[in-house]
Amino acid sequence: MYGSPSLARLAPLLALLVLGAVLPPLVPQYFLYLGNLLMMYAVLALGLDLLLGWAGQFAFAHIAFFGVGVYATVLLQTKLGLPYVVAMPAAALLAGAIGLIIAIPATRLRAVYLALATFAFAEGAQWVFNSWDTMTGGADGIRISSPSLFGYAMGSDPKAFPVMTVLLAVVIAATLYLTKSKFGRSMCAIRESEHAASASGIDVRGTKILVFAISAVYAGIAGGMYTLFNSFANPEVFGFTQIVLVLSMIVVGGLGTLPGVLIGVVLLGLMPEIMRTAMRHLLVWQELVYGVILIVAMMYMPRGIWGLLPRRRRRLARA
Amino acid sequence: MLPLILQAAASGVVTGCVYALIALSLVIVYKSTDVINFAGGEIVMIGGYFGMLALLSLELPYVTIFLFSAAATFALGAAFDRVVLNTVLGRASPGQSILVAMVIATVGLSYVLKGSVRVVPYTEEVRRLPPLFTGEPIFLGPVILQRQDIAIVVIAVLIMLALWAFFAFTLAGKALRATSQNPRAAALVGIPVRRMRMTVWGIASALAAVAGILLAPKLLMTPDMGVIVILAFAAAIIGGFASLPGCILGGIVLGVIQNLVGLLISSKAISVAPFLVIMLILVLRPQGLFGGPVVAKKV
Amino acid sequence: MTRGAFIRGTLLGCAALIGGLAAPATAADPGITDTEIVIGLFAPMSGQLAAFGFDPLQAAKMWYEEVNKKGGIHGRKLKVIVEDDKCNPTEVVAVVKKFVTVDKTFIVHGGSCSAAAVAAQEFVTREKVPHIMLNAAGDAAVIPPTRYVFGAFAGTQRTVGGTIMEFAIKELKGKRIAYIAHDDDFGNANWATAKAVAAKMGVEVVAVERISPRITDVTAPMLKVRAANPDVIINTAYPAPAVLITQKYAEYGMTKTPIVVAVQGIPLPAVFAKNVGNDAALANLYYGSPLNDLTDGPKQQKWIQLYKQYYPDRNPGAFMTYGLPSAMAITAALEKAGKGVTRETFIDALETLNFDTGVLAGPIAFAKDRRDGHRASIFIKFDGKTHKLAPGAYFWNGKDGM
Repeated sequence: MYGSPSLARLAPLLALLVLGAVLPPLVPQYFLYLGNLLMMYAVLALGLDLLLGWAGQFAFAHIAFFGVGVYATVLLQTKLGLPYVVAMPAAALLAGAIGLIIAIPATRLRAVYLALATFAFAEGAQWVFNSWDTMTGGADGIRISSPSLFGYAMGSDPKAFPVMTVLLAVVIAATLYLTKSKFGRSMCAIRESEHAASASGIDVRGTKILVFAISAVYAGIAGGMYTLFNSFANPEVFGFTQIVLVLSMIVVGGLGTLPGVLIGVVLLGLMPEIMRTAMRHLLVWQELVYGVILIVAMMYMPRGIWGLLPRRRRRLARA
Repeated sequence: MLPLILQAAASGVVTGCVYALIALSLVIVYKSTDVINFAGGEIVMIGGYFGMLALLSLELPYVTIFLFSAAATFALGAAFDRVVLNTVLGRASPGQSILVAMVIATVGLSYVLKGSVRVVPYTEEVRRLPPLFTGEPIFLGPVILQRQDIAIVVIAVLIMLALWAFFAFTLAGKALRATSQNPRAAALVGIPVRRMRMTVWGIASALAAVAGILLAPKLLMTPDMGVIVILAFAAAIIGGFASLPGCILGGIVLGVIQNLVGLLISSKAISVAPFLVIMLILVLRPQGLFGGPVVAKKV
Repeated sequence: MTRGAFIRGTLLGCAALIGGLAAPATAADPGITDTEIVIGLFAPMSGQLAAFGFDPLQAAKMWYEEVNKKGGIHGRKLKVIVEDDKCNPTEVVAVVKKFVTVDKTFIVHGGSCSAAAVAAQEFVTREKVPHIMLNAAGDAAVIPPTRYVFGAFAGTQRTVGGTIMEFAIKELKGKRIAYIAHDDDFGNANWATAKAVAAKMGVEVVAVERISPRITDVTAPMLKVRAANPDVIINTAYPAPAVLITQKYAEYGMTKTPIVVAVQGIPLPAVFAKNVGNDAALANLYYGSPLNDLTDGPKQQKWIQLYKQYYPDRNPGAFMTYGLPSAMAITAALEKAGKGVTRETFIDALETLNFDTGVLAGPIAFAKDRRDGHRASIFIKFDGKTHKLAPGAYFWNGKDGM
């Protein structure tokens, strides 16, 4: 269960990379766009899952760090002339730094207070994105020109796709290492019981702060990924609906489980497309159906889809 | 300037009681079941529409529409708890926290409520429920207040007192408090825990419906009016999330601050003021202005 | 076979292959055959902004059907594929990419929300596919103009701002204007032109209040407006805040001051009046509209009756006719471009258009450097019971506020 991930676990990542190289010329751009979207959501979801699923911290600031990732990646390129390869990691680290700063007061809070404080931070951040006209373009949004990687222009779906697969593979590998390490065990311990964890000698506060920061970095990376295949962003993208979507993805898929989270991303990420096509003549009912799906999912799979598999459920209970 | 500030403050008190009524509904659910009800705003919305239905289609007298809407939403909330939340809880192994799943279920409820209301073409346009009290505005010195506004403040305070008395003095109220503090112990002493939870959800929903009918004349009705729940959460936090009188005071503080910020700083800043206040309060005084010391929940 | 036969056979085969490959170089664009033209049509059909897109989209479909009934365009019928974009930029991009790369439509026609239109702009430009908006204002996507995106068929927010300010000054003789707008992209756009027009005409704007679209208590902004002592108040808020503002305006005793409400705040005047709930508030109320008549006025009736024939179960909402001008422009340009129309000649034809739609206050017109189709507004005095059209239409000149 713990220790470095075996090569067998890393093998599927190779398959992902192969898909990234092979699919673009074969498949219409629409499907590549959906693929890019899902990969970006996957990184967002994995980051939130670290915080909520592994460390048990009910925090909603994630979407603000996503926004920082998007705006910072673009602004570092346009205002400072940095190439994408430098701007994106810098933006992710900036998001992480802000996450660290927020974490220091936030980790003193429990459960509902943490949730609402971080939610307030996210709303405040969205207001800043909307009002800081000179930097973010304010309500009019910001145009994203095609970033390039050593001359390889990435702005379109087919061009961005392989790069996205690489980024996702790196993030998944990092997640595997993180969760299987001593750090991962600390997170689990804190999730189950902060008192017991503290009694076992784990630096609860320090770990919590670190998870916050790391999950913010994930969100920042997702923001950088957004800029690879989108040409426009406005503050609406970083609102309450988005965070609820990502939260739903990880809960429906399976909190604290990597395959579960990915399944949740695919299902809930493709849901709008499926509903739109399947319900062509009943479009106005989409909202209602979406709500029913969420409710039914929680009633019959409160541990998520991955939690349904008996072998997994026992494993999780033991951990 | 002073008359302006007084007017802003007075209107802020009224709007604050609006937030407070919804906040009461949220806090009751949280105190009893630990669940953050993300559908709180939508229940307010549907309560308002039930009221509108009763008034305009069924042509019931105004006081009756309160009862009609409260009864309908009581049933809705209780049913949601009985059917959905019970099932979610039932699937949790002992010791597992299923809280997140319940919260997502409330998110689902909010979509269901919004979605079902939106299907009705009548709701496409912004509508207004006629107010309970009409007539000449009341002048308190330089301050102008509508009669409906005063009604909102009075009713909010009355409801809060009634609820507080209910929880403090009646057997049912005490049973509910026991259920929230320790469900297993409550079950052991013979309190029907499941029925208690259902009752709480019913009461909270009925409360939200009453809020909806009081507020609809002031806020205007659309299927999306539930977004006000964010401000209700802010009011609840400022007051200390587990305190009922705190809701009213928190709401008033929030309403007044919003208006003063709008008056003295800029109208643009009105929308961010609540969030700054939340963050400040939680950083400086996590238990809110009126909450007791922070209690660590059972391990 | 003999070696000679083999070589000849191979050469013939290669020639056929090359010939087959060469032919598509002069083939028509996707989405267009001898019998039909495929149009990808999209609008918000569900969700918060469905009221803004559902009826306009059906109106556009209706127009295409009418054209088909008369024999189509140069012998081709118009075929429409409909998608719901929920006014969400991610969905709009997905829908447009699906239309272009999967359904392979000739053009994409749709969009009732400005931000969403901008999201798709880079893609349609890169793929060289004409995108004609439905009823979106689309300020950021048409100003500055780019080759492939046409919009503002009901006027940009720039038009709204410019014309409302001009009306306030010219007709209502305003010298001290109070301006209320949202703090979103609509507010940015309409305030930009309004400000410029006021400056051009030498009139002072004594109060500017930018409020959130979700505002619930307009006490603070209205107190400030009252304190500034304006002689005309301009209200460009959305329906709910617009009502709240009008109510407070009456509550604070300002009803002697004329108030002008922009089109986005008052989709159905009768409902607006009912919501305000106080006819005294409407004593000096005016509102703007891009149409050529009242929403249910005689000039609009023919479209309303047609809509009822096509969709008997549906009451055409406030915005139904807004969907027609873009469809009209599309069919007019297809006609003009002739039988051998391509995406590029279609765009060239669009650029030459300048026609009266029978729906709007002014003509739809484009040019090499102009992509916002409509720049006119009419204004109506409304006291809760009767409407009185103010004379003339007001135009934005395309330059103020740029």
